[in-house]
Amino acid sequence: MKVQLVNIGKKYEGRENFTIRHIDLDIDDKDFCVILGPSGCGKSTLLRMIAGLTSITEGDLLFGGKRMNSVEPKDRDIAMVFQSYALYPHMTVYENMAFSLKMRKERKSVIHDRVLEAAELLQIKEYLYSKPSEISGGQRQRVALGRAMVRKAGVFLMDEPLSNLDAKLREHMRIELVRLHKSLDTTSIYVTHDQTEAMTMATKIVLLDKGKIQQVGPPTLFYEKPANLFVAGFIGSPTMNIFQGEIKDGLFHSTEEDFVVEPKAEDLALLKPFEGKKVAMGIRSERFIAGLADKNTVHVKVDVIEMLGKEQLLYCKFPNGKECVISEPGYFEYAVDEEHNFHFDVDGLHFFDAETTERIN
Amino acid sequence: MSKNKEKGLYLSDRPPLTPVKAVLLTISYILLFFYVFIIVWPLAQIVFSSFNGNQGEYIHVGGAYQFSLKHFKYLFQETYFLNWVINTIVIAVATALLTLLFVSFTGYAYSRYRFKGRKASLMAIMLIQTIPAFVGIAAYYTMHSIISAVIPGFTRQMFLILIYAGGGIAGNTFILKGYIDSISSELDDAARIDGCGNLQVYRLIIMPIVRPMLAIIALWSFIGPFLDYLMPSILLSDPKQYTLATGLYTLITDVRNMHQPVFAAGGLLTAIPIIILFIALQKQLVSGLASGAVKG
Ligand SMILES: Nc1ncnc2c1ncn2[C@@H]1O[C@H](COP(=O)(O)OP(=O)(O)OP(=O)(O)O)[C@@H](O)[C@H]1O
Ligand SMILES: [Mg+2]
Repeated sequence: MKVQLVNIGKKYEGRENFTIRHIDLDIDDKDFCVILGPSGCGKSTLLRMIAGLTSITEGDLLFGGKRMNSVEPKDRDIAMVFQSYALYPHMTVYENMAFSLKMRKERKSVIHDRVLEAAELLQIKEYLYSKPSEISGGQRQRVALGRAMVRKAGVFLMDEPLSNLDAKLREHMRIELVRLHKSLDTTSIYVTHDQTEAMTMATKIVLLDKGKIQQVGPPTLFYEKPANLFVAGFIGSPTMNIFQGEIKDGLFHSTEEDFVVEPKAEDLALLKPFEGKKVAMGIRSERFIAGLADKNTVHVKVDVIEMLGKEQLLYCKFPNGKECVISEPGYFEYAVDEEHNFHFDVDGLHFFDAETTERIN
Repeated sequence: MSKNKEKGLYLSDRPPLTPVKAVLLTISYILLFFYVFIIVWPLAQIVFSSFNGNQGEYIHVGGAYQFSLKHFKYLFQETYFLNWVINTIVIAVATALLTLLFVSFTGYAYSRYRFKGRKASLMAIMLIQTIPAFVGIAAYYTMHSIISAVIPGFTRQMFLILIYAGGGIAGNTFILKGYIDSISSELDDAARIDGCGNLQVYRLIIMPIVRPMLAIIALWSFIGPFLDYLMPSILLSDPKQYTLATGLYTLITDVRNMHQPVFAAGGLLTAIPIIILFIALQKQLVSGLASGAVKG
């Protein structure tokens, strides 16, 4: 089902300002849409508005073209997995999963088949007759997924369902969730503050900050063309290197680190209007090329090395003490306190207007 | 062999006893035994006296013992004991049911809904609780005459039920609200998405979880009318309408009607309905259901 948010805003009772406002968003049928953002930016609020658990202060919510603002949660054709799982403690796993179908007066045999089908898929068949208090956190999480699954709802909502699992299980569940999404054939909306989850699972990411949408698009777009400085800093690990500077005679002059970069021709054309203005330049760690070149070269001292196996992260210092992160293949030999030359890959440069923080190229 | 080995091991989680602590522990035990004695001895006297045929109008400690049921016989044949039992049970059950019903609604509403005057009314309930019900006596008479003028069948006993339930609702609303507060409201949300309306959320999700608390509330509301002497003694005038407390009291206040062993026998029988209810509710009382709802 297609989900549309038109100029949606939420102001909590007793708060002075809108928590989120002017949210315009189209989520297509069968999309896996991840709502990403730092803690407290209003992700859960947005999801709860879509679910109907929180009222919508302004704007319209459309499901398949129909306005949903005042429809009860139970009539919205949604299923939801909660941050805390919210399993009914007095019911067995089976009863938990069967509950929504029972409330809809499905036939017993249909309920039984659906629950078993979900249990099979999530590998929780052995625990069907245990209470939630008798199973582990990971198993509870699957039960929560299963409870939402059996509904076969049009929209599948998830609020940080993986946040309490250990790293290994989380990695595993990420893949499981994508598989589940495909097999369910529904629209999924997934809230998280973890950019890895967003990058690996989403077909569409919505990055929220300060109650506003910062950027919408597929994961690659976020990595390759961040729309502003916030997105550039939020997406990607290690964080993108940002240098402040200005454009002079078609060259980027760094203010503090004292280097000069000649952008590629396409970028130069776009940078023309910023001649003499403050501009920020970003480059991801892997876009540094080892060695000296005839231009765009920096000379830095290696401060700390983080060896990750296939690659190593070099935390380097410019002569003036400013830091930057450079990643190089693991088999290159570097040592702490060595001084090295690196040059910028001009295809991997990002330019931002320092005033508005918006992307230029 | 391994047994021998274990003997030498100190397995308790507490630090080993020092001599000073051992003395203190002994003193604690002596105090506890003394305390138990104070409680158990009079109870034992009641049990013995009620079955002792040698006891006359007054209970005498010591003296000959002869097993007999004559006090119980007197109770059933010469007094309105059965009436009192029925009156009390009816009042107790009605009080418990009324309290449960209302407290369910008020506790849930105060915990889950934000409405105008929520804080103020909670405070008001708390403050009014501190005034003893006894103070309202004069008002009760007026209220009763007004209500019975409108509804002719409105008896003093019904009024008693309202007084008990009214007091119970106020205090227990607090307790239940606190208990429901500790249940994650995401459970409500989940139920709502799964297809529950407001009442169903309470009936199908919240109520089963707060069942131990409801059981305690029911038990206390039920016991109240058994213990209270003051209200019925003031409000009820016809001995046939008396509750157990007021009824039995007539057996020990008036010299013309003095039958202390019979009073003891009645007291013994009074315990039975309470014990039955307690056993019936025991399973509910001990089950801790709230665990495992959310990730720990
Ligand atoms: N019921 C409420 N009443 C008033 N303000 C609220 C309420 N719920 C949330 N807020 C406020 O709205 C803002 C966003 O909260 P929200 O729960 O949506 O954040 P979030 O993005 O989900 O954060 P997290 O990642 O920590 O879960 C917060 O500043 C919070 O204080
Ligand atoms: Mg949240």
